[in-house]
Amino acid sequence: MTIGVLVDVLLALSLVGLSLQVVTGRALFRDLVLFILFGLLIALSWARLGAPDVALAEAAIGAGLTGALMLMAYRRLAAGGAADVSPARRRPLLALPVAALAGILVAIIGLSAQGVERVPDAAGTLVLQELSATGLGNPITGVLLVFRGLDTMLEMAVLLVALLGAWAVLGAAHPGRLHQVDRETPLVSALLTTVAPVTLLIATHLLLVGTDAPGGAFQAGAVLTGCGVLLVLTGTVRPRAAAGLLTKLLAIAGLAAFALIGVSALALGRAPMTLPGMWAVYLIETAMMLSIALTMTLLFARSRALGPEQR
Amino acid sequence: MTGIVLGVAVVFLLLNLLAGLWRIGAGPTAADRMLAVLLFGSTTVAVLLIMAEWQGDGALRTVALLFVMLATIVTLAFVGTPSDRERP
Amino acid sequence: MTMGLADLIGATLLVLGCAFYGAGTVGLLRFPDVYNRLHALTKADNQGLLLVCAGLAVLSGSWGVTALLAVIWLLGLTAAAVSAHLIARHARHGPDPGVSAEEP
Repeated sequence: MTIGVLVDVLLALSLVGLSLQVVTGRALFRDLVLFILFGLLIALSWARLGAPDVALAEAAIGAGLTGALMLMAYRRLAAGGAADVSPARRRPLLALPVAALAGILVAIIGLSAQGVERVPDAAGTLVLQELSATGLGNPITGVLLVFRGLDTMLEMAVLLVALLGAWAVLGAAHPGRLHQVDRETPLVSALLTTVAPVTLLIATHLLLVGTDAPGGAFQAGAVLTGCGVLLVLTGTVRPRAAAGLLTKLLAIAGLAAFALIGVSALALGRAPMTLPGMWAVYLIETAMMLSIALTMTLLFARSRALGPEQR
Repeated sequence: MTGIVLGVAVVFLLLNLLAGLWRIGAGPTAADRMLAVLLFGSTTVAVLLIMAEWQGDGALRTVALLFVMLATIVTLAFVGTPSDRERP
Repeated sequence: MTMGLADLIGATLLVLGCAFYGAGTVGLLRFPDVYNRLHALTKADNQGLLLVCAGLAVLSGSWGVTALLAVIWLLGLTAAAVSAHLIARHARHGPDPGVSAEEP
């Protein structure tokens, strides 16, 4: 097991070193690249910690989307001539005590976590005990949909509010051109024809196995977002200025499915948010996946809707 | 015995990653720095696959699959950034 | 602590794959310009991924895992080829000169 410890130490040290570099660096593009690599190492750390659910989400979001989002922001900054502006002057007198105190805080929390005994009726233990009653094999999906369903529903509301906020900020401006390559660029059409179908396949797979194994609506949604961003960046779908009915329906689908099924339990004389069966789990998960994917792709594309290329 | 080989392979590939960081500092062009991202992408996939065998967690192969599927997104976004190569 | 023949073959392939990864990294660090580095890195890493996947397929002894590893390697090849091409193009030409970065 000593090799395992070595791997953990290597990962931990590289994470701390990389984050230091990112925060203290002076060159915008270099720090941005380091931040992308930081995301990759975080995904590896989750894998190492035995948390494949989180690693899946981190792989889709940290590896692909965050990096692309930052590069797009860098592109805008550079177009405005602001990318060369050196970051604000450091204030070591202020930064050092803050860093020291934060380090002490983390150390105290870590050390005290070492000494904590496992409480027999802690929430996590209870969830694992009661999991068989839900019919779900994956405790994370069980918590997200059954035990803390209200929280998950509100997360969908947060996502919807974020989209509406972005639409409000966008105003009437027509979304600009986002893609720099298109299907005429060599190899790009080959990429799309192989990768796009596989993303759809994997998203569906993650959604279906999510009830019993690592996966679920959030991971599947993140993968679909990756597919959407791929299509946006290659100009296969173009930003549109106005959202149609389908876009609006898909944007609220997750929240609506959750709310309708959750409230209809009241009419049937059960506690609110109880799910009537496995079909409800799959319905809600599918609706959430579609909403998540659409919302995040639209946020990435800074647009109200997306449509096929018009010739 | 194979466990040791798998563990050593993970350590070796992680050290590879750390060595690749030097190229980000040295540059000199933005494309050079993106090469480090390429190195991290391909090596991370191998590390995840080895970890899947090593820790007996098949879900990590799916994580690796996501990595290779979405690896090009960052490059596609990079293509639009200004080049630091001098133009006539 | 004995190793079967399959384990031995798998471990050997794995070690060979890691050697290719190492070579790719050396290329990235030592070669003189961006095209050389790109060439060394992507070529060696693709071969490394193939050998690592082959080694792990032998070690796992499962057809399902082998199929998944084959898909991962093929997608990895596609991704590496496209990424390398786009980065090389960017290094040579910069962003498409006919396209302004942003339209209002």
